[in-house]
Amino acid sequence: MAKRARKKKVAPIRRAADAPVKLTDKDKKTLKSIVGMGDRVVKIAGLSRAPHLDIPSRSLSNVKFNKSKRFIEMGKGTNKRELFNLSQAKSYMQTMLVASGCKQLIEQGKSTSIRGMYYLLKHTIEGTKEETFNEQSECDPVIEDVEVSLNALREELHVYASNRGSIVGNLVFDDSGDEIDCSRMGSGGYTIPSICEPDIIQFKKCEADFILHVEKDTVWRRFNEDKFWRTHNCILTHGGGQPPRGVRRLLHRMHHELELPVYCLLDNDPWGYYIYSVIKQGSINLAYESRRMAIPGAKFMGLRSKDYDRCELTPSVTIKLSDQDIKRAKQIASYPWFKDKKPWQKEIQTMLKNGFKLEVEALISKDISYVTEQYVPDRLEDRDFLD
Amino acid sequence: MSTATPQPREATGDEKKSRPKRRRSTAEQMASQQRSISVSEFFSKNRHLLGFDNPRKALLTTVKEAVDNSLDACEEAGIPPEIWVHIEGTSKERFKIGIQDNGPGIVKKQIPLIFGKLLYGSKFHRLRMSRGQQGIGISAAGMYGQLTTGKPIKIVSKTSPRKAAHYFEIQIDTKVNTPEILNNKGNGVDIPAGDEGKNYIKDHGIEWETHYPGQEGESPKPLKSGTRVTIELEGIYKRGKGSVDEYLEQTAIANPHVTIHFLDPDGNETHYFRSTDQLPPEAKEIKPHPYGVELGRLVTMLKEFKGGTLSQFLTTSFSRVSAAVARRICDQAKLSSRARTKRIGREEADTLYRAIQETKIQNPTTDCIAPIGEELLLEGLRHVLPGEFYAAATRPPSVYRGNPFQIEVALAYGGTNTAQKISYDVLERLLEESDARTLKQFLVVTFDGMGPDGAEKIIREGKFSTRQSPSKLKAKDRQRLFEAMRNVNLSEGQGMSVLRYANRVPLQFKQRDCAITQTLSGMNWRSYGLSQSRGSLPNGPVIVMVHVASVWVPFTSESKEAIAAYPEIEKELRLALQTVGRKLGMFLRRRHSIRQEGERRSIFLRYLGEVASALHAINGVDRDEIYENLLRVAKRKTAEADTKLDEKGRKLDPDTVYGENVLIVEEDQESLEKELLQRSKSRTPDPNENTTEE
Repeated sequence: MAKRARKKKVAPIRRAADAPVKLTDKDKKTLKSIVGMGDRVVKIAGLSRAPHLDIPSRSLSNVKFNKSKRFIEMGKGTNKRELFNLSQAKSYMQTMLVASGCKQLIEQGKSTSIRGMYYLLKHTIEGTKEETFNEQSECDPVIEDVEVSLNALREELHVYASNRGSIVGNLVFDDSGDEIDCSRMGSGGYTIPSICEPDIIQFKKCEADFILHVEKDTVWRRFNEDKFWRTHNCILTHGGGQPPRGVRRLLHRMHHELELPVYCLLDNDPWGYYIYSVIKQGSINLAYESRRMAIPGAKFMGLRSKDYDRCELTPSVTIKLSDQDIKRAKQIASYPWFKDKKPWQKEIQTMLKNGFKLEVEALISKDISYVTEQYVPDRLEDRDFLD
Repeated sequence: MSTATPQPREATGDEKKSRPKRRRSTAEQMASQQRSISVSEFFSKNRHLLGFDNPRKALLTTVKEAVDNSLDACEEAGIPPEIWVHIEGTSKERFKIGIQDNGPGIVKKQIPLIFGKLLYGSKFHRLRMSRGQQGIGISAAGMYGQLTTGKPIKIVSKTSPRKAAHYFEIQIDTKVNTPEILNNKGNGVDIPAGDEGKNYIKDHGIEWETHYPGQEGESPKPLKSGTRVTIELEGIYKRGKGSVDEYLEQTAIANPHVTIHFLDPDGNETHYFRSTDQLPPEAKEIKPHPYGVELGRLVTMLKEFKGGTLSQFLTTSFSRVSAAVARRICDQAKLSSRARTKRIGREEADTLYRAIQETKIQNPTTDCIAPIGEELLLEGLRHVLPGEFYAAATRPPSVYRGNPFQIEVALAYGGTNTAQKISYDVLERLLEESDARTLKQFLVVTFDGMGPDGAEKIIREGKFSTRQSPSKLKAKDRQRLFEAMRNVNLSEGQGMSVLRYANRVPLQFKQRDCAITQTLSGMNWRSYGLSQSRGSLPNGPVIVMVHVASVWVPFTSESKEAIAAYPEIEKELRLALQTVGRKLGMFLRRRHSIRQEGERRSIFLRYLGEVASALHAINGVDRDEIYENLLRVAKRKTAEADTKLDEKGRKLDPDTVYGENVLIVEEDQESLEKELLQRSKSRTPDPNENTTEE
């Protein structure tokens, strides 16, 4: 995830260091489950048995596509993580460390980013030259493991993901007590916080008709500079590639609470397809969060495989599909939530037949503002979306 | 060209014809040159055939022939052999070699013939397992000495304590292959027993050991009988590979019942003491097996057979031929079993020969072979070579071309060198007590199996000067030496060393031509845990000892240096090597898994502390208590994994894992250090210690 996240974010509720921390009911519940996890280990060890953790499996094999709810749900499969197993001993130890770190945060009423958590727990193991965590990338999945095994949300553990993604548009909300008017955000937009739960963000006023989510910053800037959101009365967001939880949660809330349709403008490549899939159905990795994040009503606006002909693009703006792209495309086509959708199968087949992919930026070759003045308005007019 | 252009060739032929003709030699002239060649003349010109190719090898061959003869004689007489080997430099590249045994002695009449006539002996005409085979060796050594120095071969032999000893100085008349006695007008001297004899020996400068070297506090026992042969020859004495030292050491390994006293030209004494008093079982003499007899030999035997029928001839001259078998052979050859042998001509002999090959005859009895035995092999190998793992295998006897033979194999695996096991303190003490002049010498002498190459590596690693004196090392240098000793990989590039034996005699030359080496390198040792490049000997700190025992060992040449590759012999070699190889593989695999187990446990232990602290933070449980609990589980878990499982996952009892004839030396740090210190103190001649350089 984010490599350059802020080290420590100011805790949502500031308190004097020595004042007794007032725990919310949620915090009490989370603490109880953390202690429960520890108690089980102590009990097992007391019986001279080898302790292990059952961690819900976060893999494709353990997710189910719920057809009626139209998003991915996590199955019941778990992975055993044993202390006395050579390949798992270290991650077992790391899991216990993360649990103890979360407990510490909750008790002190503070919160930190995932990178902060990494630094909080990183130290040299006594008597060795080995570090508890060598890199943040070792720590992040363990935090997710703890989330799923305690059935607690990340913010309930007082841990934040990085802030990424921006928002502008005709929307006013409160963020931790500060009123934010998203129509007055200049050229940079408002950075979407990683936690967008109702206790932090409350919508105040919304006049927009729809949400346009674009993949990356470059395209987003184009739209913002051209004041597309003003002319078309919409909310404009981007997620910096694969959208982080904060962006997905905010989109989800805006879609449901403000009843705004979500249109996605993404690259025409397997990666773009997957981003759409994550927004719409939820991700495999965070299947347990789908309930709060998936937007089954989201629509895919483009780029489409047929746009090469439709927009009369030149071969020089195409990028050849790599072997990995082809493999990934086939994999995506076989996902249950794409499998039964004929238009999608056709879309993917066309891309494979083309043998190249198209980035949204390719449209700039037509004209700098082609995408804002021609492409998107045309699609909106035709209501030409993939579902 | 020759077939394509016949024309010009004829033309040259015409030219030649036109030249004046000169008769080169007539048949009569040639006849005057033609005469018989005596064996001794032949061998004096072809001395390399007998192992006298160069001065260094000549010295070794002489010692070897004499020692082999002595051992054969002692064993045949049932006396535990005690051999004295004295090599004394008389001038540059000239040595006097004296070899004495405590054998039965030789009767006066036979002495000149045995030592002064080539191809004279007791061993050629009978099929019996012995070291010597042809009766060519010792007389050839004498002849070589005579050729190079002009000095006669001197023999002292005594058959009983009361009888006189015989003293001969003999030369070989190479033209007619007969001995010529030089002393006492061609009669030899009888040295009477008792004081009179002692004086004679003293006065005439005859070398003769009269007593066994006594143990401390015991009076030395007198020698009852024995033979001493002294030969002066041109040679070179050099230690190392293919040396007398190596030969004696290897002899001691394969002959644990032998004691050898060796005095080298530098005046160093080396003693190999017997580790058992039990002589090898007496080798029985057998009659030849029909399969092993060639046509020519068969014809000769038929001719030599005095009277009787064909059936009688077959049953009495060969082993495993009963009357019934003889009849079957005769039927096959379409000859009457009652035919007189005298009447059998060449034609019939040929059919008889072929009939023998076609008739099924039982293999010869194999009890005529006396193997060393697995126990003694292990003991012998361990005695001389430090290692961690030893395995031995003796194959049941088998037969090639009608000759019984038996293969024995022993293997020693010696993991890390002692140099890498000692602590810094011990190294310091060793350095203090050492009187070695250079660091290299110190390393080679102190640590077994290090060798000059290993020492060089350490010196290079530590960046010491070549002539660094060990006693002048400063504390900092010592630390550096210690580090260098730890860091250098001594076993790297170390190949398998092979000790080859034929009838207990070490084979030191022509390793590549030998069936033993060929079989070894033809096997796949990778599956036994050793690295090996295709078609060569495997690598690793391994020593393999292979013994081929037979009534007739098939050598590739008369110098008896390499064993011929008969398929039957190769097969038995392979089977024996596979047996020890499997055991080595098991040992190496087990050692590997034990090491892994240790790593496993240490990984768990590493994380337990963290887990305990985390738990303490989570639910306030006592950190030490939970740590203890987890530790207990960890120990139990890894102990479970410690129990030996074979490939199929069954539990194994450590005693039955390897089967019999395996010796595993557990490393014992304390006793090792003690031993090393002890050794450095008593570097100066110590009769109980093997002080030869390797």
